[in-house]
Amino acid sequence: MDSVIENVATAKQLTSSLDNVSSEIELIVKNLSFYYGKTKALKNISFPIYNKKVTAIIGPSGCGKSTLLRCFNRIFELYRDQRAEGEIIFRSENILSRETHLPTLRAKIGMIFQKPTPFPLSIYDNIAFGMKLYQKLSRSEIREKVEIALRKAALWEEVKDKLLEPATSLSGGQQQRLCIARAIAIEPEVILMDEPASALDPIATAKIEELIEELSQKYTIVIVTHNMQQAARVSDYTAFLYLGELIEFSQTEEFFTNPKESKSKEYLTGRFG
Amino acid sequence: MTATSSTLRKTIDYAYQIVATLFSFLAIFILLIILYEVLKRGFAAINFSFFFHLPKPPGEEGGGIANALLGSFVITTIASLIGIPLGIMSAIYSSEFGRGSLFSKYIRFSTEVLSSVPSIIIGLFVYAIVVLPMKSFSTIAGAIALSIITIPLIHRVTEEMLFMVPDTLREAGLALGVEYPVVVRKICLKSARIGVITGILTAIARISGETAPLLFTSLNSPFWNVSLFKPMATANVTVFVYAMSPYDDWRQIAWGASFLITASILLITILSRILFKRVKNG
Repeated sequence: MDSVIENVATAKQLTSSLDNVSSEIELIVKNLSFYYGKTKALKNISFPIYNKKVTAIIGPSGCGKSTLLRCFNRIFELYRDQRAEGEIIFRSENILSRETHLPTLRAKIGMIFQKPTPFPLSIYDNIAFGMKLYQKLSRSEIREKVEIALRKAALWEEVKDKLLEPATSLSGGQQQRLCIARAIAIEPEVILMDEPASALDPIATAKIEELIEELSQKYTIVIVTHNMQQAARVSDYTAFLYLGELIEFSQTEEFFTNPKESKSKEYLTGRFG
Repeated sequence: MTATSSTLRKTIDYAYQIVATLFSFLAIFILLIILYEVLKRGFAAINFSFFFHLPKPPGEEGGGIANALLGSFVITTIASLIGIPLGIMSAIYSSEFGRGSLFSKYIRFSTEVLSSVPSIIIGLFVYAIVVLPMKSFSTIAGAIALSIITIPLIHRVTEEMLFMVPDTLREAGLALGVEYPVVVRKICLKSARIGVITGILTAIARISGETAPLLFTSLNSPFWNVSLFKPMATANVTVFVYAMSPYDDWRQIAWGASFLITASILLITILSRILFKRVKNG
């Protein structure tokens, strides 16, 4: 219990410069560093992520924004030479600790990738896949939940007549919404999005952005994007990374209209990146 | 100057094309001759008794190789039942669970070495560790020898197919909170399955043609054999024994058996090609 109070205190300290400190905090990043082999890709990063808000992580290519996102569900552990140090507090526990049960963590913190990643299964089974592992559900319950997930991802109308067709037959934008539906289906609290629209055309992108706004009513969203306009459009908070360091963390409006750091100003005016 | 060198270039280019084409025709021609000869000489031997009768002494009418056909089938089946799971499991370990580890590099290297060991040496090895202790040539010894040949083949093709599964798919599975073994089974292996099946077929085609390892292990038998622990006739060894015999009717049967072996290998190969096309076309 002590650690919770301590963590909240740290988070408030971290965000004391922000106006809106009353928002509930979902995740706290504390002194996070990340290594690819011996290369240090993230340097002592600390910032909070607010509950049911959209937090954008922006910065030029190679600044470590995807790396940072991949720490929240520890997906980087698939690779032998990657390693994170520091803490990420989620529900008063450090998710980077050895004791964390990864499947449980990942069921709570879902992820959408840059390129759509449909499994070699039918549209229906793609959604049902993760669901079946967590809940003992009857066939009709699964059906119902698949429909709900597809509706939430604004895909139901387009696929309701071809649920048994392979997911790979869908268009890129549809596949990405399928992946969102798949993530929602297991009822996470946080959704991580790694440049979810960068492989999509403008119309599909607009749909995804609309969806992000809707989802933020119910989920905490962390989105990595190289598109500053997108960050400005969809997010409530913005974290600006440069060369593995967190340069600035502010409310999005403030960041884009009145950045505090000179690096932020330079980036916003397009002087690098 | 330019004109001359351009003419020369074109001439050389042309010459290469002609030579290359000639050699490819030669390669196909040899295959066709083999198929033609085997078909011409073997087809006549194939009749009802060839398939359904036991071998008879030379000179007697109506002998067949029914027991050898059954033997080939049984030995190949048992060898596959041993070799396929081992090859697939070791590939799953080295490309999934042991990703990037030193141990999986050793596994990969050993399978490469194993696949280049001559099959006759594998036969001798099984003779030493199975036949000698059991004091008898046996079906199971033949199957073990052939399964050792299939392991590296199946290992390699499974591993290659698993490498082709993009990491993003593994990540997507893990990100849903799915345990890694389930991701491997339900996503990776599922994506790789047609390629793996192709590899299995290729391995079966390969062992269908192996004779040397069987000479030291299952040997031969003129009788029906239902025991795993007794010598067993096979089509390949029958070809070896009959073709070397001085009797015309036996040699005729050897051609028949050769035809059958060639035809079945051709069939398996064509089947695996068709499947592989499906892999490539997604």
